[in-house]
Amino acid sequence: MKLKDKHIIIPFLAPGVLVTFFFIIVPLYMAIRLSFFHLESYISTPTFVGFGNYIRIFHEPSFWNALGNGLFYSLVSIALQVVVGIALALVLNEAFKGKTFLRGLTLLPYILPTVVVALTWQWMLDGTIGVITIAAHKVGLGRINWFETPRMAMFTVILVSVWTWTPFVTTCFLAALQTIPPDLLDAAKVDGTSAWQRFIYITLPVLKPILVIIILLRGIWMFNKFDVIWLLTRGGPLGATEHLPILTYQKAFQTYDVGGGTAVATISFVFLAVVVSIYLKIFAREE
Amino acid sequence: MVKQNPVRKIVIYALVVIIAIYSFFPIYWMFISSCRSYRELFSSYSIIPGPFSLKSYENLLSMTKYAINFKNSVYVAFMTTAITLICSILAAYVLTRYRVRGRQVVLQSMLFTYMFPPLLLAVPLYYIFTKMGLVDTLWGLIICHTTITLPLGVWLLWGFFKAMPFELEEAAMVDGASRIKAFFLVVLPLSLPGLLTVAIFSFLLSWTDYTFGLIILSSDVHKTLPVGLATMVGAQDMGWGEVMAGAFLISVPLLIMLVFVSKYFVEGLTAGAMKG
Repeated sequence: MKLKDKHIIIPFLAPGVLVTFFFIIVPLYMAIRLSFFHLESYISTPTFVGFGNYIRIFHEPSFWNALGNGLFYSLVSIALQVVVGIALALVLNEAFKGKTFLRGLTLLPYILPTVVVALTWQWMLDGTIGVITIAAHKVGLGRINWFETPRMAMFTVILVSVWTWTPFVTTCFLAALQTIPPDLLDAAKVDGTSAWQRFIYITLPVLKPILVIIILLRGIWMFNKFDVIWLLTRGGPLGATEHLPILTYQKAFQTYDVGGGTAVATISFVFLAVVVSIYLKIFAREE
Repeated sequence: MVKQNPVRKIVIYALVVIIAIYSFFPIYWMFISSCRSYRELFSSYSIIPGPFSLKSYENLLSMTKYAINFKNSVYVAFMTTAITLICSILAAYVLTRYRVRGRQVVLQSMLFTYMFPPLLLAVPLYYIFTKMGLVDTLWGLIICHTTITLPLGVWLLWGFFKAMPFELEEAAMVDGASRIKAFFLVVLPLSLPGLLTVAIFSFLLSWTDYTFGLIILSSDVHKTLPVGLATMVGAQDMGWGEVMAGAFLISVPLLIMLVFVSKYFVEGLTAGAMKG
């Protein structure tokens, strides 16, 4: 039966394959190709420069700065998302009234458009009239300049990123938590274990496989994330929050260094692919 | 069940309140800022809403291209969703029901696209679009969005069709229905939840996208909501009231969606549907 009606295979596959070929595979090939060329603009004729763009970029301090910032930003924000995500999931897994409602509420930060998230936080963190700035002032923290200094700007973009992307982690953990039989925890309680012991010996092992996947996915996404940082700081001040996606954008669309931009994008893709395969080697073996 | 002690109960409810405020306050603040009168906006920090004024909304709609941006966003999101659904339904169905050569390659590359820096695709797409005359057009943007949503759709529906018992179509086909007929009358209606998940995520990704819009669109009449709103910040005559009004209006369709289809949303999320 499976082999009957073979004539539908090609027409059914064609639309998807064509779109994928022309708008994903061909552009990908072109991006890598363009990184070996020099272009004055998007309409000029490319001239071949070999590894010229790559050599140039490896000599730019801004590249190493962006790589470092990107790594710091992704590692810290993933770590915080995981910690906050587990905490939220543990609370949401308890029995209380209005549970379904609260679960819906905690998803809100995640479904809001990044633009809305960035602008709302900018408004709340405004240096003179932002509600959070003023609240912080009233409780004695002084006037915080959220975006002014390099260190604070990095802190703020991480804060906003954690707020908006943690619900993904919470949802995944919550799904995993629900696979723990309540009887098991109850039995452990009767045996006189502490809440902390139950968390370490029962809950955490259940979360581990999903944790491995979440760290991987979130790591990839955070490393590639462009919009939230761009909207909040434009990479500033003094390049303090500039990471590889912003560097790519600035090169490709602001200075029209198309070759340089594609080279940075290619480098970050290769870098990511290497890190991901090492990560999978370490953790996939354990599964 | 071991009985809960009252102290523990109080602690849990306290945490619940904290979580609710943490998740909801920024949205609440956005809303009450959008409908606060202009003078109060910069002097009142009261968390109680009011004094009310619709001035920000009036300014937003009369002084900017917000209505046109809204229309653009709706068009792009619906087109992206439609194209994604059609392509991914057909492809995923064939990939699960026939032994197509290179099937594994297709699936692996779908996962692989997860790893692309969006800008790695955006730069060459822009380059291609300059030659095709698609820069600064809505169709250029629809194509960009489809590059993200299509792999996702195939991936989700692949799992969905695979889990659907093959016997159902076989029964229909034994009864004389052609493969096409069995597909439309048996497979599609049964896979409605899966299709809904793909539709929700395609719409969401397209509706909320800022990055591709920023790159592809440049003239105000072609901008989608996120790009249009971002350019309003710092523009003359535009205050935070108008910006928050715009932000709230973008969010409304998503809030409605969350109320009605959060079940599919959560399912899709745990199936790794959302990239971002």
